[in-house]
Amino acid sequence: MKERSYFALFKLINSFNLSLFCDLSRYLLCEVCVPDRSSLQLLEDRTIYNTLRAAVNRAHGDYGSALFNIGVIVKYLNAHTGVVLIRSRKKHYRLIWSALSFITCLENRGQKVQCFLNCLHVGGTIRTCQKFLVKYNRQQLHRMLPACKTDAEKQEVRRAILSCSLSNVREEEADEDGSDDDGDEET
Amino acid sequence: MEEPSKFERYVYKNASVYHYMKISLVLENGNKYITDAQFKQLITCGLKDLYGEVGASFPFDLLKFDQNELTGILRVYNSGLVKLWSALTLLGSYQNEACAFRVMQVSPFLLALSGNSRELQFGDQLTL
Repeated sequence: MKERSYFALFKLINSFNLSLFCDLSRYLLCEVCVPDRSSLQLLEDRTIYNTLRAAVNRAHGDYGSALFNIGVIVKYLNAHTGVVLIRSRKKHYRLIWSALSFITCLENRGQKVQCFLNCLHVGGTIRTCQKFLVKYNRQQLHRMLPACKTDAEKQEVRRAILSCSLSNVREEEADEDGSDDDGDEET
Repeated sequence: MEEPSKFERYVYKNASVYHYMKISLVLENGNKYITDAQFKQLITCGLKDLYGEVGASFPFDLLKFDQNELTGILRVYNSGLVKLWSALTLLGSYQNEACAFRVMQVSPFLLALSGNSRELQFGDQLTL
């Protein structure tokens, strides 16, 4: 009686096709660097996706295109700060990462924007990427503090730094946007 | 009958850094005039289609080329063997003409390509 139940359990587990832990993925946290900040505003995740697909096709051919089609998706894009989160399969993330370096311009509604994609962090989950992004943004704000000219801006930046936390990540990015633009006007 | 010689077997793991392939190009409409540079260019194009710029830049050498038979011996690093072989398999056309690559022999040792038991011909040397 016991053996029969063990046998049934064994068959059930085998029938899962060994895919219990195979949805592994890697998230590439990248930053779009453009010479002119205002051209970032109209960025869409479709643009990044298409540009990346073309770059992977050029660099890795049909094999790369096939891997791109099955595993890659642009999970998050922030047009204000230029942060992109790209998801890919764990086995092929290096292939996609290598093709990032070949992107020279993003085409958006007929306008070509010269840029390069800088990979900041590779994480296994979205949460680790979020944690890294919070730390990174805090470092950027610290770097911006000496560049601020007026006291009001300094207060703004200090407040933004203090409010950096994972739960406030959306407000924190909004604050960073505000101080980012101020910082840019000064520099 | 000569007495049987002693039998010794050596087993190597990853003995050679390279792999050697003996291949032949078969064209649909008979043989064309193809130089060795064009032959190598054709294989590079096949690699580029399948594996992109990164794949096409993988170094391989055409060691010998027979223009009448359109056969050649390629040398490639071990890590690139699978890519090269798959690119040769999927290469279908040369100048808008159907063609195919036949891989006759693959070996990590060049000496092994000199003899092939499939093409061995028994002459009058075999005596009872």
